Amino acid sequence: MRAILDYFQLFNIEQSFNVELSYLSQAYQTLQKSVHPDRFAHASSQEQLLAVQKSAEINDAYQTLKEPIKRAEYLLNLRGVEMPNEQHSFSDTSFLMRQMELREMLDDVKTSNDVDAALAEAQRELSIEHQQHFDLMSAQINENSAASNALACDNLRKLKFYQKLNIEIERIEDSLFDD
Amino acid sequence: MALLQIAEPGQSTVPHEHRLAAGIDLGTTNSLIASVQSGKPNTIADQQGRDILPSIVSYQDSSSEQAILVGDEAKALSVSDAKNTITSAKRLIGRSLSDIQSKYPSLPYQFCGDENHPEIVTRQGNINPVQVSAEILKTLNQRAEQALGGELTGVVVTVPAHFDDAQRQSTKDAAKLAGVNVLRLLNEPTAAAVAYGLDSGQEGVIAIFDLGGGTFDISVLRLNKGVFEVLATGGDSALGGDDFDVALVDYLVEQAALTRPLSPSLERQLMQQACLAKESLTYQDTAEVSLALDNAQTWSTSLTTATLNELIASLVKKTLRACRRSLKDASINIEEVIEVVMVGGSTRVPLVRAEVEKFFNKKPLTSIDPDKVVAIGAAIQADILAGNKPESDVLLLDVTPLSLGLETMGGLVEKVIPRNTTIPVAKAQEFTTFKDGQTAMAVHVLQGERELVDDCRSLARFELRGIPAMTAGAAHIRVTFKVDADGLLSVTAMEKSSGVESSIEVKPSFGLDDGKIAQMLKDSMNNAKADIDARMLKEQQVEAARVIESIQAAIVQDKHLLDANEVANIEQVIKSLADISQGESANEIETAIEKLDQATAIFAERRMDSSINKALSGQSVEKL
Repeated sequence: MRAILDYFQLFNIEQSFNVELSYLSQAYQTLQKSVHPDRFAHASSQEQLLAVQKSAEINDAYQTLKEPIKRAEYLLNLRGVEMPNEQHSFSDTSFLMRQMELREMLDDVKTSNDVDAALAEAQRELSIEHQQHFDLMSAQINENSAASNALACDNLRKLKFYQKLNIEIERIEDSLFDD
Repeated sequence: MALLQIAEPGQSTVPHEHRLAAGIDLGTTNSLIASVQSGKPNTIADQQGRDILPSIVSYQDSSSEQAILVGDEAKALSVSDAKNTITSAKRLIGRSLSDIQSKYPSLPYQFCGDENHPEIVTRQGNINPVQVSAEILKTLNQRAEQALGGELTGVVVTVPAHFDDAQRQSTKDAAKLAGVNVLRLLNEPTAAAVAYGLDSGQEGVIAIFDLGGGTFDISVLRLNKGVFEVLATGGDSALGGDDFDVALVDYLVEQAALTRPLSPSLERQLMQQACLAKESLTYQDTAEVSLALDNAQTWSTSLTTATLNELIASLVKKTLRACRRSLKDASINIEEVIEVVMVGGSTRVPLVRAEVEKFFNKKPLTSIDPDKVVAIGAAIQADILAGNKPESDVLLLDVTPLSLGLETMGGLVEKVIPRNTTIPVAKAQEFTTFKDGQTAMAVHVLQGERELVDDCRSLARFELRGIPAMTAGAAHIRVTFKVDADGLLSVTAMEKSSGVESSIEVKPSFGLDDGKIAQMLKDSMNNAKADIDARMLKEQQVEAARVIESIQAAIVQDKHLLDANEVANIEQVIKSLADISQGESANEIETAIEKLDQATAIFAERRMDSSINKALSGQSVEKL
């Protein structure tokens, strides 16, 4: 029997942070065409059950490889770099200070006179900083040494802070939809 | 030398007879059934030539020849016998009593039953919305069997994309009650996309704007080489043409200076008049309304398009808000949408068309019949699922419409599966205990986007017991959510160190449990015991034949994955099932089917893995 495939093997691509998204999406559809439960609607219940399981696995693999943050985490994990859990203390105090500032900025957006403009400005600022950390992380992952992987992991944690801020932005946007 | 034929995995290699299958659009106002015959999907009409069946069921005297009327015959009684004639049951299905009463305060029914299982008092006793839907499904199923000349292998039933778990489960229950085998629950906009996409051959991003009698869906899909990938869906399962009518009714009640509560028949009359007025305002600027009041007087007025537009403006705006959100969820710019397809009768309302055109900056497509396109799409999918098109390239990748989560400390919801996740999906999340020595944990499953438990739909509660006593935070409880291809959820919870497990098919808080369905099935049969036994036996025999056929086809196709012993063993079990299924015991057949399932488990796994390996091997990027 074959060994359990990792997601990169499943999609028949090399284990790397750089993924060709158009290939990924085509390969995803090809794989789903071979295992999706709709292809087994007339098969035995055993096969139907397996089809659901495999199809769900391929969905998860696709989402993981498609989304850069998830891909980075998955790849670092394959390389044996464990992400510390969320509660784990964070020593970069200047980064944390900056995060507090950004949170305050978002609070101010909510009460701003022109919420739309303030929101756009906040989004712009966040995306610049996000990109900086992202570029650093990409380079570190691609370097693939013990030291660079550890640094990448650090940047990945930072990027997750930005993701949370983005969720907050979405909330503010949603509240604008509701009027 | 003859070339070897290689079939798609999971498809039979032996040519087989055409299996009868159909697609059912179970609508709020109207329902339809369609089927693919000689390669073409068509709606099926009744003997009077009508293909649209009004979704109305009337409960008459049980002694009368037609104790239950469905469709136009029931519609004829909806004003004179409003209490016993149930319209728009789809708006009630899978909902709680308080939910129904707050959303539709002036329904002409008397409700009974408990909060989570509301029923309507009729002269035939208490009827729940699942039974009403079952009558409609039964009528359509009979119509198709008559027209196609045989029993249906199965049907695809469509549901609004925005239906929650309880509403989906209840729809499936209704099919079960009607004795209809559901091949798949299919989202209405996805069905419409299939009908449209296969007909037009378009590729790219399309939006389906589906405004029906009681529900609104917006779905954004990417069409690519037969694959219909839903990128995002949004909407409101309680917003439709009926709400336009309600707005008009409220306006008329105010204008005529009527005081509620009104008699059931006057409420029904108002709804009908409002609906007629709305329809005529689609092609003229004014419409006359004339009401026979309870005091035998007549009251009339004239309505203008401007008044209608004013009354429904906020509802239309709500649909556009959902469009904006879905595009955002799909990460698609409005300019990327190559076509906006209008589905559902309510998209005939001129204001809706105008606003959608303005929003998408594109003339919406209204050339396909908005009443039939969903049934047609469902019929195409049913034909494929029944196995009639083994060479088909069509694949539907749908999503969950609403986020699924769990209650955590402080009445907050932790999302486990976010909305617009492609299904099927399995996701696990770990939780831990809150107190020292805690040995049980309550799991509360919720559906919805809001942060607070009280603002989300409660789907189910269950308890994981027997957690070994540990200090707070030491236990690792893994809760797994699984959503299948019908969009139905099941949840399991397990404590990792001890392996204590607890699981639930999420279908309890609302809707009916299996016992109740079995009881209702029995009640619906005249010679209860004999009938139900005969039916169960027949079902198991059909199932046995199906399983044997599919496994034999698999062996023909993938014999190389088995050694001689394994083949002999499987053939032995097949033979034993074949023998038993000649007998009279449904239970024995069921057990024998399970045995065969077990005997082929490894084979099935190998086949699946081999098809995954084969799918991408030897393919270059360009070739894909």
